[in-house]
Amino acid sequence: MQLKSQPAVLRRRLIAASCALLTTSATRSQEAPEGGFVGRLLKEWQLESALAYYHENGRVQAIEPVVSASHDYDDGGNVSFNFTFDSLSGSSPNGALPSRAAQTFASPSAQSFATARRLYNVAPGNLPADPHYSDARAAFGGSWTLPLERLTRVTLGGKLSIEDDFYSGTFNAAIAHDFNDKNTTLSFGISDEADVIKPIGNTPVPLSNYAAFDKEGNKSKNGVAALLGLTQVMNRYWLAQLNVTADRFSGYLNDPYKIVSVLDAGGNTTGYIYENRPEVRTRRSVYLENRVGGARASAGLSLRYMTDTWGIRSQTAQVNLRWWAAGRQQYIEPTVRWYHQTAADFFQPWLPNTTAPATQFISADSRLANFHALTYGVKYGFDLSDKLHRGGIRAHRTRRVLSADTQHQHCDAGLAAGTRSVSEPEGRPGAVRLQLLGA
Amino acid sequence: MTAQFPGGGTLTGTLSLQERPGGLCAVTFSAMASPCEVLVDIGDRALALQLAGLVAQEAWRIEQKYSRYRDDSVVAWIHGRRGSPCVVDAETAALLDFAWQCFEMSEGMFDITSGILRRAWKFDGSDRVPDQATVTQLLSSIGLDKVRWESSELLLPAGMELDFGGIGKEYAVDRAYDILAACCRHPFLINLGGDLRANRPPSSGTWRVGIERPDSDRSAAMLLDLEHGALATSGDSHRFLLKDSIRYSHILDPRTGWPVANAPRSVTVAASSCTEAGLLATLAMLHGDGARDFLEEQGARHWILQ
Repeated sequence: MQLKSQPAVLRRRLIAASCALLTTSATRSQEAPEGGFVGRLLKEWQLESALAYYHENGRVQAIEPVVSASHDYDDGGNVSFNFTFDSLSGSSPNGALPSRAAQTFASPSAQSFATARRLYNVAPGNLPADPHYSDARAAFGGSWTLPLERLTRVTLGGKLSIEDDFYSGTFNAAIAHDFNDKNTTLSFGISDEADVIKPIGNTPVPLSNYAAFDKEGNKSKNGVAALLGLTQVMNRYWLAQLNVTADRFSGYLNDPYKIVSVLDAGGNTTGYIYENRPEVRTRRSVYLENRVGGARASAGLSLRYMTDTWGIRSQTAQVNLRWWAAGRQQYIEPTVRWYHQTAADFFQPWLPNTTAPATQFISADSRLANFHALTYGVKYGFDLSDKLHRGGIRAHRTRRVLSADTQHQHCDAGLAAGTRSVSEPEGRPGAVRLQLLGA
Repeated sequence: MTAQFPGGGTLTGTLSLQERPGGLCAVTFSAMASPCEVLVDIGDRALALQLAGLVAQEAWRIEQKYSRYRDDSVVAWIHGRRGSPCVVDAETAALLDFAWQCFEMSEGMFDITSGILRRAWKFDGSDRVPDQATVTQLLSSIGLDKVRWESSELLLPAGMELDFGGIGKEYAVDRAYDILAACCRHPFLINLGGDLRANRPPSSGTWRVGIERPDSDRSAAMLLDLEHGALATSGDSHRFLLKDSIRYSHILDPRTGWPVANAPRSVTVAASSCTEAGLLATLAMLHGDGARDFLEEQGARHWILQ
């Protein structure tokens, strides 16, 4: 006759269930709650805010206040908005290699070395990085989900993002249909993105000599993407998801601030040129996620494979485990992620000064290099009080293992040694991330 | 297309007001087949009546909506649509979610589909104990896990019934409490048929609550002093069967279809909400002679009458 639960676990679950009952029905069984505009807003909309802070071994700091609001309609519809403001500052690698000699660079706004307002010097053996890198981004997004009929939902969304040197607008639409007793959901979505790139100090001409300050006007790029997803409830404890996505970006795909070192036969830096990437990139990816969970613990395994027309193939595997404690009021979630990618066909950390770069594609951006990374993270979440407050602290530490591509190994050992600190596409190396979620 | 509940009629009743010692106004009315009262520590009789009216209205609203005896209730409406999916309103959905969670956390001990056992068990003090075959047959139509329930869509299989009686009264206390607490800063106590909740102590000290002896003489067997919070009582009152000198309590275990052996006469539990207190009291009764251990394990303040 005894319940097989630990002391007081049942009671904590019961408290949570009672609170859920009394708060949901309180907002819904009453018509027109009083209390002025703010009171109504708080009652009818779920508001959330978050503040994230990164610190990356003195490299980049970011502060990301996020405010989001969502409202559920009785018919199953939902409207949500979010606003993000990021600010990044610190130093950012410019793509050049460390050299035996001191190197001097101008910040991107410069139109010549002589008139540059700010130059920066890099000591011998150090990785060249712009120490004054700073960027701010404001983004506003919204989405509207409406049920078409009992089993079909349509979601329309949009996003506008503004940075100092980048403007982006995205529209997306998706349709999801449930069948098989709502155990299976099939979804299809498309999105269209239009971007304007307006680099500080104008756009450098690809492959032009860095010292020539050969600049041109604003650039643009466009992207389209499609996603086909299948979610299957295998049983009460197991959920599986499979997504297939394809996207295509065309237009200006360079990083306007990235340069490539030009070296002589002795490995000495003789100059730099601006990078040049192909104007079209098509990616395809497959993503599989399995999540199993019970009352006290859950586990997730996700695998992703991506290939693109630049020659990059990547694999990601992620495992996370979540343990609930104290009647599901607290949890701890360790995560391990392994990532590997092959280099882009045109990735080249430096260029011999004997080659004429007239028509070739080249980039020394380490995000296009061959590398693998192992990321560990742990997330801790807790309920501050019975119902309203939610809080969470996340800490992530990434250790990255840089593997130099064999085809580039012939470059001077002193230059190619793993002194480069490279940021990976997802997550940041050595970053400790703290995220506080307040109610 | 799935059907949606059109809403039922309106239930009303009468309120009567008395002044009690210590400057309290007591307003009594009847709801959910029980005597109800609202005590407000306030001298203004008209205001007290108005405040109690809010409580009575809410109690009547919930009774009308969830009573299994009314043919315009949402329960009757759901029963009329057995075997095909129907969409329920948000409040009913929240109650179903809650019932489902209670079913899960109690491993089937608390089950809102177990009401049909009443067809076999009539607790009228007689000796009519049903035979096992009757009980076994009913058990095939019991089990919330046989009901398909997803977000707002419900599919109740043929032959099954829902009964919100096990949580309705406590839920009504909490709902009425929220309404009153939003507009009244004076000390008050809401008592719907023995399940009660108070916001804070009255100026005279504490709320004095009598717990009746469930059987014999209806005299108060215990007096509790309550400052604030909720109390709920589960008791077998006059409802039992007596056969071969075995007293069968009206507390039925939905998993066996039989009364729980050695259930206490009454269990009273204190908690922050009446819904929580009520569920703890009901589950404690279902633990039979393990009631006290169960409540102690859950760290709940309780008073048990054997």
